[in-house]
Amino acid sequence: MSESVPGLTPEVFAPVEAPVSPPQASEEVEFVQLLTPEGERVEHPDYSFDLDDEAIKGFYRDMTLVRRIDTEATALQRQGELGLWASLLGQEAAQIGSGRALNSKDMVFPTYREHGVAFCQGVNPLNLLGLFRGVDQGAWDPRDNNFHLYTIVIGAQTLHATGYAMGQQRDHAVGDPETGEATIAYFGDGASSQGDVNEAFIYASVFNAPVVFFCQNNQWAISEPIDRQTRIPLYQRAAGFGFPGVRVDGNDVLATYAVTQQALKRAREGSGPTLVEAYTYRMGAHTTSDDPTKYRLSEDLEYWKLKDPIERVKAYLARQAGVDHNFFDEVEAEADKVAAELRQGCLAMPDPELTDFFQYAYVDMPDELAEQRDQYAAYAASFNAEGEG
Amino acid sequence: MTAEHLYRTVRLIRRFEERAMDFVRSGEIVGGIHPYVGQEAIAAGVCAALRPDDVITSTHRGHGHVLAKGVDPARMLAELMGRENGLNRGRGGSMHAADFGLGILGANAIVGAAGSIATGAAWAYQRQGKDVVAVSFFGDGAMNEGMLLEAFNLAVLWRVPVVFVCENNGYATTMPVRSAVAGSITGRARAFGMPAFTVDGQDPEKVLAATTAAVSRARSGRGPTFLECTTYRFDAHHTFEHRARLNYRSTEELSTGRSRDPVEIQGERLAADVRAAVDAEIEALLDAAAGVALGGAHPDPAAALEFLYASPEVNR
Repeated sequence: MSESVPGLTPEVFAPVEAPVSPPQASEEVEFVQLLTPEGERVEHPDYSFDLDDEAIKGFYRDMTLVRRIDTEATALQRQGELGLWASLLGQEAAQIGSGRALNSKDMVFPTYREHGVAFCQGVNPLNLLGLFRGVDQGAWDPRDNNFHLYTIVIGAQTLHATGYAMGQQRDHAVGDPETGEATIAYFGDGASSQGDVNEAFIYASVFNAPVVFFCQNNQWAISEPIDRQTRIPLYQRAAGFGFPGVRVDGNDVLATYAVTQQALKRAREGSGPTLVEAYTYRMGAHTTSDDPTKYRLSEDLEYWKLKDPIERVKAYLARQAGVDHNFFDEVEAEADKVAAELRQGCLAMPDPELTDFFQYAYVDMPDELAEQRDQYAAYAASFNAEGEG
Repeated sequence: MTAEHLYRTVRLIRRFEERAMDFVRSGEIVGGIHPYVGQEAIAAGVCAALRPDDVITSTHRGHGHVLAKGVDPARMLAELMGRENGLNRGRGGSMHAADFGLGILGANAIVGAAGSIATGAAWAYQRQGKDVVAVSFFGDGAMNEGMLLEAFNLAVLWRVPVVFVCENNGYATTMPVRSAVAGSITGRARAFGMPAFTVDGQDPEKVLAATTAAVSRARSGRGPTFLECTTYRFDAHHTFEHRARLNYRSTEELSTGRSRDPVEIQGERLAADVRAAVDAEIEALLDAAAGVALGGAHPDPAAALEFLYASPEVNR
């Protein structure tokens, strides 16, 4: 007990550990790391990365393509082609590392920023753009790629994920580390303060549900920094709910892969939930509607640029694995091609009939809603009539 | 003096609850109550550590808390009977007793909800530069309510002068704590960086000592403290159980649980004659309270909508 509390006597109280302050960006943070920002492989006593350099080249490609898709989407928003975009810039390793650790039967519950995980699950990026262009309301079937629709309500998907995982349990799909199923719930540091998320922790723990809570701590809940969000490192929350938590360097794709894989294995074999805190940084704005220069210092950004998730893999591949420039050039060219196709596809998306939106809420449209639809259609048509006259 | 004060409080609560249960049986109290029997040491010990201007929030099982904070038993009994002379003119009933003058910000029937109210109130006092402390009572079941955990986080972040008192009586209605609370109760509070302690909730003096320390910590600007008071609910979750046996506790468990009775624990610390005098005093007090309550008028049904809004216009 580091804080003295007058009047507290041992027979009255059991001992308590002092609260720990969350780390600041400039401090050294303790986490699982297998690849340093300089591209050096390092060992960890509990986690190892067992795949070969070909797999690492694959991660490099994934991250590069995803960053390119993200950059293109931001540009499209700036040009008025999307209503909004939530950039994943800086979080590629957290998403690709965890996304590539998933098996085909695992289920993903994302926030609205999981473009990298969507990519890993095989969701067409054009589908993501449809949502942000406003031509549909998320036009992918969650069952096609085991990738649930984007959830905008902060933290709500952790409950959906826990419920889904309890379903997997009741379907007897849990118990074998090889063939078992698991669920992964993505959320951010801001969501950790939501009661919903804490209730999801409780249910998952009490029912031993096969769910991995994957928190990308990107240091900012819009403009709220992490030290105003929690007094203790987020991964330590899990201990208070009776399950393990681990912090991983979220800008290290190898470590993120290894840690997530172990957490998923635990879930699949029936050992219950794990909280993974991927320690990363949101390099861009919260969304295209946000201007982070209003609330954070450029030196912070400079500090994190040195920890870039892609550069460290490139450094490793070039210096340690003998990968030559042809590979990097090919990936760049592929990324440009993907981006060009994405742009083309985005511009070619048909505008929706606005009256269609009335039909998505109910299987059988109530009379009142049909009336509203007709009223709206008449109102919209009145503009055409005026224009013609 | 402290020993006698604590005994008077636990005894008052015990006898108040026993008499209230009689009035439930006789039909004077409609709808039943959640008896506090067995948990009296917590209300008595906690409230004895507070100044009159400190504030509390209470629960669906709140008679003990408000009595310990100084509510007149006659007005509380009249409230339970829905009379015009009740604490809240008969509109609040068992689960919504409030008296801002006594620092009672309200009992709250919504499990865990009052934690946010106590935190908000204490935060307001802090911002006004006052050294008032808030205490929030809640049970083990509330530990699984997201909004209570949100209050923990904010209280710790902003060093709010609030003391969280968890009365762990082993059951959320019929759900045993071991099936409902993942991890541990104090571990849950520590997960937000809050100092958390387990206290013997059957001993009023231990509860008083722990709360005094926690309150002094809060008052001196060092933030919230969490106290888990281990206790046992001697009687039903709610008086409906008197009619419908739910069979979730064995007779062995009940007899072990009831063996540590706060009234006896504190009573044994007094001389026999002092104890007898206090007992007699309380019976007289409650006799008079029953008379006052039973003599109270029933509210006029036409006035049912009054007191919802400050402006009577809204009610029309």
